[in-house]
Amino acid sequence: MKLAGLKSVDNAHDDSVWTATWVPATDERPALLLTGSLDETVRVWSPDELTNVATNTGHCLGVVSVAAHPSGVIAASASLDSFVRVFDVDHNNTIATLEAPPSEVWHMQFDPKGTTLAVAGGGSASVKLWDTAEWKLIASLSIPRPEGSKSSDKSGNKKFVLSVAWSPDGKRLACGSMDGTISVFDVSRAKFLHHLEGHFMPVRSLVYSPVDPKILFSASDDAHVHVYDAEGKSLINALSGHTSWVLSVDASPDGAAIATGSSDKSVKLWDLKMRTAVQTLSSHTDQVWAVAFRPPGGTGVRAGRLASVSDDKSISLYDYS
Amino acid sequence: MASVYIPVQNSEEEVRVVLDQLPRDASDILDILKAEQAPLDLWLIIAREYFKQGKIEQFRQILEEGSSPEIDEYYADVRYERIAILNALGAYYSYLGKIETKHREKEEHFIMATQYYNKASRIDMHEPSTWVGKGQLLLAKGDLEQAFAAFKIVLDGDRDNIPALLGQACVQFSRVRYSDSLELYKLDPENVEALVALGILDLHTNEAAGIRGGMEKMQRAFEIYPYCAMALNYLANHFFFTGQHFLVEQLTETALAVSNHGPTKAHSYYNLARSYQSKGDYEKAGLYYMASVKESNKPQEFVLPYYGLGQVQLKLGDFKSSLSNFEKVLEVYPENCETMKAIGYIYVQLGQTEKAQEFLKKATKIDPRDAQAFLDLGELLISTDSGAALEAFKTARGLLDKGREEVPTELLNNIGVLHFERGEFELAERTFVEALGDGIWHTLTDGKAQPYPIDASASIHQYKDMQLFHRLEEEGFAVEVPWNKISILFNLARLFEQSHNIEMASILYRLILFKYPDYIDAYLRLAAIAKDRNNIQISIELIADALKVDDKCPNALLMLGDLELKNDDWVKAKDTFKAAKDSSDRKDSYATLCLGNWNYFAAVRSEKRAPKLEATHLEKAKELYTKVLFDHNANLYAANGAGVVLAEKGHFDVSKDLFTQVQEAASGSVFVQMPDVWINLAHVYFAQGNFPLAVKMYQNCLRKFYYSTDSQVLLYLARTHYEAEQWQDCKKTLLRAIHLAPSNYTLKFDAGVAMQKFSASTLQKQKRTVDEVNNCEPFPCSFLTFRVFSQLSAASNLQFHGFDEKKIDTHVNYCKHLLEAAKVHCEAAEREEQQNKQRIELARQVTLAEEARRKAEEQRKFQMERRKQEDELKQVRQQEEHLERIKEQWKSSTPASKRKDRSQYEDEEGGHSEKRRKKGGKRRKRDKGSKSRYETDEAEADIVDDQEEMEDEDANINYREPSNQMNNQEDEGEENAQDLLAAAGLEDSDAEDDMAAPSNPIRRRGAWSESDDDEPQQRQPQLSPNGDDSTEMQVSDGEVGGDDDRLNGDAAAADEDDD
Repeated sequence: MKLAGLKSVDNAHDDSVWTATWVPATDERPALLLTGSLDETVRVWSPDELTNVATNTGHCLGVVSVAAHPSGVIAASASLDSFVRVFDVDHNNTIATLEAPPSEVWHMQFDPKGTTLAVAGGGSASVKLWDTAEWKLIASLSIPRPEGSKSSDKSGNKKFVLSVAWSPDGKRLACGSMDGTISVFDVSRAKFLHHLEGHFMPVRSLVYSPVDPKILFSASDDAHVHVYDAEGKSLINALSGHTSWVLSVDASPDGAAIATGSSDKSVKLWDLKMRTAVQTLSSHTDQVWAVAFRPPGGTGVRAGRLASVSDDKSISLYDYS
Repeated sequence: MASVYIPVQNSEEEVRVVLDQLPRDASDILDILKAEQAPLDLWLIIAREYFKQGKIEQFRQILEEGSSPEIDEYYADVRYERIAILNALGAYYSYLGKIETKHREKEEHFIMATQYYNKASRIDMHEPSTWVGKGQLLLAKGDLEQAFAAFKIVLDGDRDNIPALLGQACVQFSRVRYSDSLELYKLDPENVEALVALGILDLHTNEAAGIRGGMEKMQRAFEIYPYCAMALNYLANHFFFTGQHFLVEQLTETALAVSNHGPTKAHSYYNLARSYQSKGDYEKAGLYYMASVKESNKPQEFVLPYYGLGQVQLKLGDFKSSLSNFEKVLEVYPENCETMKAIGYIYVQLGQTEKAQEFLKKATKIDPRDAQAFLDLGELLISTDSGAALEAFKTARGLLDKGREEVPTELLNNIGVLHFERGEFELAERTFVEALGDGIWHTLTDGKAQPYPIDASASIHQYKDMQLFHRLEEEGFAVEVPWNKISILFNLARLFEQSHNIEMASILYRLILFKYPDYIDAYLRLAAIAKDRNNIQISIELIADALKVDDKCPNALLMLGDLELKNDDWVKAKDTFKAAKDSSDRKDSYATLCLGNWNYFAAVRSEKRAPKLEATHLEKAKELYTKVLFDHNANLYAANGAGVVLAEKGHFDVSKDLFTQVQEAASGSVFVQMPDVWINLAHVYFAQGNFPLAVKMYQNCLRKFYYSTDSQVLLYLARTHYEAEQWQDCKKTLLRAIHLAPSNYTLKFDAGVAMQKFSASTLQKQKRTVDEVNNCEPFPCSFLTFRVFSQLSAASNLQFHGFDEKKIDTHVNYCKHLLEAAKVHCEAAEREEQQNKQRIELARQVTLAEEARRKAEEQRKFQMERRKQEDELKQVRQQEEHLERIKEQWKSSTPASKRKDRSQYEDEEGGHSEKRRKKGGKRRKRDKGSKSRYETDEAEADIVDDQEEMEDEDANINYREPSNQMNNQEDEGEENAQDLLAAAGLEDSDAEDDMAAPSNPIRRRGAWSESDDDEPQQRQPQLSPNGDDSTEMQVSDGEVGGDDDRLNGDAAAADEDDD
């Protein structure tokens, strides 16, 4: 289990790169890397060579999140101005522009079947679900306020939703908020199930294990990664090692490892069996905003790939084996 | 009463000479002896008596007279006595030579001795005693071979000549041929001296059997003749080592009684003193050492009592005398390590560490195998030079390893800590693990113990959870922690914590608490971990646990105070800090600092904005800082605090100097992390208008200390960009801040303000560059601004960020206004575009802008409708007023820069400002009653329709935290430093706090205003309640009019283009 640096592109964007995701391979082409930046563009990169295939403009105030449809045909990008732009990956045609005022837009993810797009709604304390066929808002999953808290007190905005994650079976949706709580929803019934506690600082990234729909990994500003049993409501493990905020977490397709990116400028690879960081990569010179494993599939692609993007405007690609 | 009788010549009479009462003047006796031609043996007896009484001069006089040529002639046939006299003289001079230290005199004495022996030899070549004497002389001269030869001559004549045998044995002894000398001594089993000598020899063999044999001989000598002081001393010595102190005392007392001989008595006293010393009776021991010292009086001869005396005095705390005694020892044995170590220790006690180091270093140099010396040296160096200390400890450890001795865990612990402090975590960990040896911690740290899931709702208590250990016990592990391993375990946990292996650290802390629930530091560290993770509740609980153990523990109290501050429990926090200060006897400068900080906070936060209260708090803060500085003039934090107070009062130059010094000092140390001083320095640069430097400072600080994660510092940075009118940088910085702290709507608001300002200023520019026109930059930008404010406006319905709705609406309106202006502007640009059809690329951008505009229109309509529903009437009236004034303005005013407008206004209206300020004050008071303080801030501005002003003020409102922040961060820095020592500390400010952070914009302005030209002008408008103040409105109109003027200009430009 290790990561080996393959390629690094400096100045991939004109400013800090804030988000990245892989667009799954289609019949015509292999998987592509999608990145979004403070420079208000979304760029598409070919794998391994990391050549810039396309640069999509149209956003304002910096792109905070990108998400790819499991089909690999369409993708969505969101910026600080709270617009979500859905576009055709290969031709950059705008398919839809989504907005649900007054809700902001933070992290987004398509469900595993590709029928729904979940969008973390920031201060609205909810997750917005968009139907991907007609691009209509179908549901708003609200986090219930803890009992006894007044809506006007200053802690009112603590349930600010930052991150979302679909379970691999598409039945559950977890969202992380500024105050560190993680809320789990039953999607089919649009019902809030329970909170997962343990963090007390913003949870900026969440991901379910691809092999076990119960296991949820969370990355928080408290420099820890928690491993939860999201069904059993229990904290299985707390991984410490980063020296600053953990900004992003992703699980490897084989489910044996997770990778994290942190404000401490490092990317760490964690062996889940050993429960320790087996590797720390420090090729970036500024905070690492996103890490993403390439999903399996596509023609002749067996090798694992991990991409990381950073405030230093660069993208790094690693071989995972 | 011994006496001799000198026969009177030619008669039967005798002269009776009482030996005890020999006349002082030897001449009297000599006269009698000569006159009566007394036998020579009487001369010898009398001389010997003089010698015994210590009257050396008389002794020599008699003997010299007795060896004079006349005597030789007269007593020519009395050979033996003459020889005896000469031999006595020879022996006397050999002795003198032997003890003489000066080389020349020594030689002279030996020559004299030789002469006398030679003379004796001339009388009788074969007299054995002469040869023995010669042998002794040669022995004294160190000429062992010849001495041996001399003794041999005697022995050849008489095989059993005991003195000669002893002499020979002595030679052999000096040649370190103990067995040979033993043989020689064995001849006379009843000779006490020989037995004693044999005993000494045996003792010198340094072997257990030899020592036993030696002691047996001593005992025999004692049995034969119980009053031989020498034997008694040695026996006493022996019993001292066997620990039979009673016997020691008896023996030495007997020895003292039977001997008049100084050195022997000294030895006895010494034995006695030693015995008392080892019994712990230092007073008596000291007395006897003194007696011993008095007897011998010369350190060269018998140095041991000086050493003993030094030890006893050291024990009794009389360092000065002790030092002088040890120094005497060192004079005799300049290379004695033990003495050097003792002196080193005394210097440590006297606080002269440098001298102490010098001696210890010398000691280690002389004996590089003395592990103890290295240990002492290391301990001494810890505080001053950790590197050297580490070296010393390592050497000590190496020596102990080599000597196969067990390395004390304390030593390993020290080495580990030093590695730790030097940042060599791996080495430190290895050392700690080695020091710990085997134990339950192994099972815990090697990761073999399976984790067990904790219920997520219980997981918030994970830092108090002991289940793990119960479970381990159930599984059959012995969960034991020996008491001497606790510190090491704690240090290891600290190390894990430092290397961010937080989970392991927490397990080890809990392990300590599991076994030793009174270990406060472990509670505090756990609390600190919880606090770092923002788990305030559990942190407070843990501190409460610590306080249960010791409710006066200052560290716990200080930490509690800090947590209370974090929870906004102001009054509680103050009480806690005070309690902490009291419990540390008011000596804990950290507690004083905290109180100083508290006062500063109080001054800044003061809800009532009472200037008096504020001044008292500031004064009190300053006083406290100064007090700490007075006690510890190197306290960086106090200096920093004092700097803050000074800056607060407007003494920027002084505070800048202070900050710069603190910064330099802080960057010199690896352990001190003081981001606050960087920030404060940047604040001062900012206040003095040195924006580029301020920017640099903020950026460095952000990278250096916060991993670029502190949105607050980003906010300062943005504010600096704002003031420097670098709109793009300002916007980018704010966007970054928003990305870091998404829920902070203040940042969003600020971003809106910045963009609004950006678009307005671009539109206002008299001569736009072609680029700018082509980019149509202002348009999308103002559109965005509009959007941001609309969003905020919408969000305000949810009421979770505390902005005043009206205020945002005002912004929305202004943005609409800007949008219109931008539209005109863009249309103009568009026309230009059409004329330059080749520039297709640019055209595309205009289309883009068009599209955006269309969207904005839609948005605007939507917004308008909503607005209508909300406050239709008011809006209409306001806009009408606007229009009218704009028209007026068109007629009268010429385009002028904003700033110029301002100052004109200021000149004209200077007289009114005082009155307005009063009004403003009144209004605020009224507002306060009903609204939260934050809203009060907003209220001042809410009805203001002067956009420019508002903007400035908004910026200030939202940026005003810097002064608060100063202190918050200062606390954090303190914590870092304190962390190392104790588990207490204050924590940083929360970025989110700024919504709630109590502050006072006016006051802050006061602080900055001195150097900022703009500020006074801005200040008055801000204070003015407006609405009914027509001059106020005029200014606003001027501003808006200015925009329109420029629009006219645009049109003109466009016209020109048309031409």
